[in-house]
Amino acid sequence: MFLILKDYGLNAPFNRKYSNKLLYGSFKTDFCLVTERMEEGSETAVVVKNLVKRFGAFTAVDGISFEINKGEVFGLIGPNGAGKTTTLRIISTLLPPTSGEVRVFGNDILRDADKIRRIISYLAEEAGTYRNISGKEYLSIIARIYFDSEEASKAVEEAIEFSGLGDRINDKMKTYSKGMKRRIQIARVLMTKPKLAILDEPTAGLDVFHAQYIRNIIKKYAENGGTVILSSHNMLEVEYLCSRVALMHQGHIVIQDKPQAIKNRLNASNLEEAFVKVVAS
Amino acid sequence: MRKIIPLIEKEVKDLLRDPRIYIGLIIPVIMLPLLGSIMSTAVSTSIQTSMVVLKIAVIDADKTRLSKEFLNLLKNTDMSVYEIDGTDLNSAINWMRELGLEFLIVVEKGFEEDLNNFRVANIRVYAIIYSVGLGSIGKYNAFQTQLQNYIKIFSDMLIYRLNPNVNAETIRKPLNFTFHSILKNNVVKIDPQTFLSQFLMGYSIIVPMILFILSISVVQMAATATAVENEEKTLETLLTLPVSRYEILVAKLLGSSIISVIGGVLFTMGFLIYFESMLKMPGMDISTSFYQVLPPIHLESFLLLGISIMLSIFFITSLGVVIGALSSDVRMANSLLGFVIIPIMVPFFLILYGDPKVMPLAIKLVIYAFPTSYPTLIAREMIINPIPVEAIFGIPYSIVITTVILYVTSLIMSPEKLLTLQHKLRARTVGKEKRQ
Ligand SMILES: Nc1ncnc2c1ncn2[C@@H]1O[C@H](COP(=O)(O)OP(=O)(O)OP(=O)(O)O)[C@@H](O)[C@H]1O
Ligand SMILES: [Mg+2]
Repeated sequence: MFLILKDYGLNAPFNRKYSNKLLYGSFKTDFCLVTERMEEGSETAVVVKNLVKRFGAFTAVDGISFEINKGEVFGLIGPNGAGKTTTLRIISTLLPPTSGEVRVFGNDILRDADKIRRIISYLAEEAGTYRNISGKEYLSIIARIYFDSEEASKAVEEAIEFSGLGDRINDKMKTYSKGMKRRIQIARVLMTKPKLAILDEPTAGLDVFHAQYIRNIIKKYAENGGTVILSSHNMLEVEYLCSRVALMHQGHIVIQDKPQAIKNRLNASNLEEAFVKVVAS
Repeated sequence: MRKIIPLIEKEVKDLLRDPRIYIGLIIPVIMLPLLGSIMSTAVSTSIQTSMVVLKIAVIDADKTRLSKEFLNLLKNTDMSVYEIDGTDLNSAINWMRELGLEFLIVVEKGFEEDLNNFRVANIRVYAIIYSVGLGSIGKYNAFQTQLQNYIKIFSDMLIYRLNPNVNAETIRKPLNFTFHSILKNNVVKIDPQTFLSQFLMGYSIIVPMILFILSISVVQMAATATAVENEEKTLETLLTLPVSRYEILVAKLLGSSIISVIGGVLFTMGFLIYFESMLKMPGMDISTSFYQVLPPIHLESFLLLGISIMLSIFFITSLGVVIGALSSDVRMANSLLGFVIIPIMVPFFLILYGDPKVMPLAIKLVIYAFPTSYPTLIAREMIINPIPVEAIFGIPYSIVITTVILYVTSLIMSPEKLLTLQHKLRARTVGKEKRQ
């Protein structure tokens, strides 16, 4: 199966640089995603400073700080209940922080929530789908919230292609498998060409082929200037995708650095080993 | 505003393709006319059975010229009359059972003597109840009518004996009242009692009835449609889109309302067909002429009624949306729905059972506070009075209150609360699973 996304008027050297053909299982991909909504300016995409989130007496996030540069893929890893989802929900304006500061492209998470929602796209941990609406209709509905009708239908066509759902795109989403639902959601997130994509376990529930396919879409997306923050339990994925990683444990960031640097510092041969070392200690 | 349109489209598509919703919409359209036709066939078959020749038994204990004449009278009407000799009631009844006779008339001794002396003559009537049903009622009614005729004939006879030159009818009914009702400024030749009972039974009940039944399904639909976003984890995505929470709720409201209005139209059609068939039922005295003599209703009144019904639906839908938006799942929404039934019902009852004009101010305010009151108010007043000003003020009021409700909800609907509710629910179900 060939999935070829059209050239969206990128400049030629850029196009040549990223049109390398990659073979993943049964997929052959040859496309670029253009993040049209990206503007020049602030190099720092996300600033998180002393972020605390309490649910009643329970502290889920306990004073974490990190920064994400434009074009980076930043990974949050950590055991279950570490506070990853909570952090991502705060950045995507769903939850207000108890204290601390969060800025997305210079916008304050509380004061400029409306502005932030226009430049982000959030993939929830267990994002649901509408039962009686087809994948294509769903993409079209979302696209028309962001774009005018012409631009929207172009975006939908692209999204359909990289969702890889083929003819099933016209079926009601209640007939989709878990993986298909995830793929339509990823397509939805990237379709809107966000300046910041917030992805909570993007490849959870996907088979190896589709997971790898999604990873490559994310990677290309960042290479084209998009910024990504994601959480994952797959250390291989994180190593492959992320320029920097923060390891969370019980609401704290225990260590954050480039994957290679983390391995060196902890004297581990891979991230998984590093992870286990940190959590066990 | 442009952003709301795709959201409304989503709402309408998702709802209309949900079998639970479209079946709910179609059922009243099929059920009500079906019910109507079943009822009217039942009644007309019962009328037919009552048309069959009545079989009655007679015991003449008087055995006089006049009592014989009474028996002849019975035989000359459309009944088959079996005369029984002897006066034993039990054996007479046994014999009747064998032959399947239903009525026994016993002319008591002294029948002729009483009448000759202008005293009331006694006749005992026994009816064997073989079955209970509409048919038996029809039969009994037919029998009663016959008996009334005999009373008239005997009364004619007595009056003739007193004075052969007078009109017996005048003696029986020397005063004749013709009743008129004044509706708006029209004089209508209807007995006010008939008017009130028929009006209550018919015209004024249609609107509140339809609205009431419709409201219950509408509020449930809107609540479910909203709560399901939370339950199926689509709300989390929705809340991070560049649309405000208020816009999300408005889209819910408009989407559900579109379905509700379609449902309302279908339901009204079904109800009118049902009502028609009820009117056509023989024995039902709601004559179509009753409605023809009513003063004509202005087009504006119908327009006002239509608008107020729409606004009521919007209001009710907004209550459903509120409940859905504050619930973590459909089950919680359904259990909260009970509260909404109160604002739906209270105004209906108050308006059905009393005139708000003469009610204490507090109750009046309660009635006017609910947009659901206005359609009922208008439907009733548009026939007997000019449309009250309150009903006209009700239109902007209803729009404002619905908007305020949604806006306030959008302020208090926090994802934090909803996520925490879900978190707790999940913790509970996970805990249960572990224990099992
Ligand atoms: N709404 C909430 N109310 C109360 N506690 C919460 C809520 N959401 C999360 N928590 C708690 O906060 C902690 C962090 O949860 P979070 O979902 O952020 O973890 P996570 O790192 O995403 O875990 P996982 O890898 O399992 O997805 C957990 O202990 C969780 O039980
Ligand atoms: Mg999580």
